[in-house]
Formats: sequence, C-alpha cells, structure tokens
Amino acid sequence: MIVMLWHNIDYVASVVLFSIGLYVVIAKENLIKKFLGLNIMETAVFAFIIALGMVEDGRPPIMTGDAQGPFASPLPQTLVLTGIVVAVSTTALALTLIIRIFRRFGTIEANELREME
Amino acid sequence: MRRPIAIALVLLSAIPLVVAVAGLPAHGDPSAPVHTHVSAHYIERGAEEAGATNLVTGVLLNYRGLDAAGEVTVIFTALIAVLAILLGTGTTPESTASSRGASDRRGADRESTVAPVSPIVSFVVRLLAPFIALYAAYVILHGHVTPGGGFQGGAILAGLFIALAMVLGTRAMQPVARTALAPWLQGAAVLSFVVVGTVGAFLTGFFLGFPAEPPLHLVRELLIIALEVGIAIGGAAVLATIFLHMEAS
Repeated sequence: MIVMLWHNIDYVASVVLFSIGLYVVIAKENLIKKFLGLNIMETAVFAFIIALGMVEDGRPPIMTGDAQGPFASPLPQTLVLTGIVVAVSTTALALTLIIRIFRRFGTIEANELREME
Repeated sequence: MRRPIAIALVLLSAIPLVVAVAGLPAHGDPSAPVHTHVSAHYIERGAEEAGATNLVTGVLLNYRGLDAAGEVTVIFTALIAVLAILLGTGTTPESTASSRGASDRRGADRESTVAPVSPIVSFVVRLLAPFIALYAAYVILHGHVTPGGGFQGGAILAGLFIALAMVLGTRAMQPVARTALAPWLQGAAVLSFVVVGTVGAFLTGFFLGFPAEPPLHLVRELLIIALEVGIAIGGAAVLATIFLHMEAS
C-alpha cells in the first residue's frame, strides 16, 4: 500500500489539500474564511481530476500536424473547466449573501451570529 | 475545544480517501480506464469530428455542447441571484435601529481605511491595459487552435475591467456599465448558445449540431468562434457586473 501511495503521490496531495479545506470549513468562525475553505476543497477536487487525466510523458491534447502522442486526456480538463465556472458562480453568490448578512447583523462571525438568535 | 474535534473529523474523512487513492491505477498509467474509453476516441478522431485542433475546446463546445450551454446558464443565473440579493429592497429587517447602528459604525470604519491608489500601480495598470486586452482577444479567438477559449479569455477581460475599476474608481466605469447594451452583454453567452444552437439545428437537424461534411465544415469553425466570443463577452460582463455591484454595496 505504501508503494501504491508513493506512485499516486499526486492524488495524495489532493487529499491533503482537501483535508486542509475541510478543516478550515469546520474550525473557522468567519464566514469568508469558511468559504475560502470550501474553495480550497474545490481546488483539491479539480487538481485530482486533472491529475487523473494525465498520462506518462503526456502532451497537451492539441492536434497540430506534427503532434505525437501520448496525449493527456481532454475530457477531465473539460469537466474541470465546467467545475471552475460553477465554483466561481457559487463563490459570487456566497460572498453576496455574506455582504447581506453583514449589512443586517454587523458581523460575519458564525459564533456571534448564533448568539444573536 | 473546537480544534481537536475538527482535526478528528478531518482525519476521519482523510483516512478513507487516502486508502481509496492508494487503490487507484498508478498515476500516468496509459491503460487506466480514464484513457481507454471516450478519451481514446476523442484523441483519435476528435480533431476531425469536432473541428477544433485544441481537443479541450472540441469536447467542450461540440461533444459536450449542451453541458457548456448549461454552464453559461449557471453563471448567468448566479448574476441574477447576486443582483436580486444586493438590489432587493429588504426594508423590513434592515431598518431595525440596533443593526442599523452596527452597520453604520462598521461602514464609517471602512470609509476611513480606504487607501489612495498608488501612482505606480495606476500607471502600470493603465500602461498594460491595451496589452491585456490584446492578450484576451488572442486567447478568445485562437482558443480552438491553441490553449485558451471563451471562459479563459472572458476571465482575463473581466480581470482587466476590475483592475481598471480599482485604479480609476468605479465611477469611471459607469458609462460602460450603465448603457442600454449592458443586459445584452451580460446575456451574450446564453444568447450565443441559443443562436448557434438554432443555426446548427437548421444545418444538421440537431440543436447545437455542427456540420462536419466538407462543404460546410468552414461554417463549423465560424460557429465555434461565435460561441467562444459569446462566452467570453457574457462571462466577462457577468463577472464585472458582480464586482461593480459588490463594490457599490
């Protein structure tokens, strides 16, 4: 298993990044920090999917006349492009909601907001 | 007290992930399933079938065109939601005295901490602006041949717009942002998918179909470029509008 982990060290890096993001989401009280944590988790997933699509000595999948394989798989890159756009949209929406929360309560600390209820 | 619980939860989720990752095919293995199913077909035939040398663009706009159409709808919906939240009247709860006082105090603090723009930053941004715009146009229009495309170029355009707004002040951007054209720019991505999809329906019988036969394959390239330009303008307009409204609030 340790050997396989060493071969898949790129994926392990994604798991570490994902865990950092998850920790930030759970442990931080500031809503913007929580959302930064979610963005780190999204980035980890994107890095994982992109790493999956890479092949040994792979080249970018651009078919100019004299391009020689092996080529990295274009499908994961396309899916991640979609994912990034969705991530941008959710980030914009969440920041807007945080602005709204700040305007109404004067704070974006989750524990202070809980006390107000 | 909170931190140990968080660390325990993170470990609880990380250990199964690490075990699962160890069981995946080795990184870069050409015989892994990700390389042997649709990807192999895309790499073998994609350039002729999709009409884009850059296979990522080919897959995004041709094979998975409906997916991309949904994607631009998502970003447009995000704009609508942001505007609804920021511009909503919200009269009842926000006019309570205590919260009004709190936000006024915070607002005053913010006013006093806004730093003036450094002349160096201002000069460099204004100096580089035409080159950034040129680069964005290159990324957009050449995106089916080299790395790039509508979303990437649109993000560069939006970044340029936001950098200029930071340096010149959002007031200077109002003539651009408040024209009658603005809603059309914000909807450009969705509209271009509707138009190109309908044209494709007439040419091939399928919505978002691209003609691949020899007499019409030049039309296909034009349609792809039209989609790229539409995505770029729409994406840039949406991001810039969200920025301007967040800044104003």
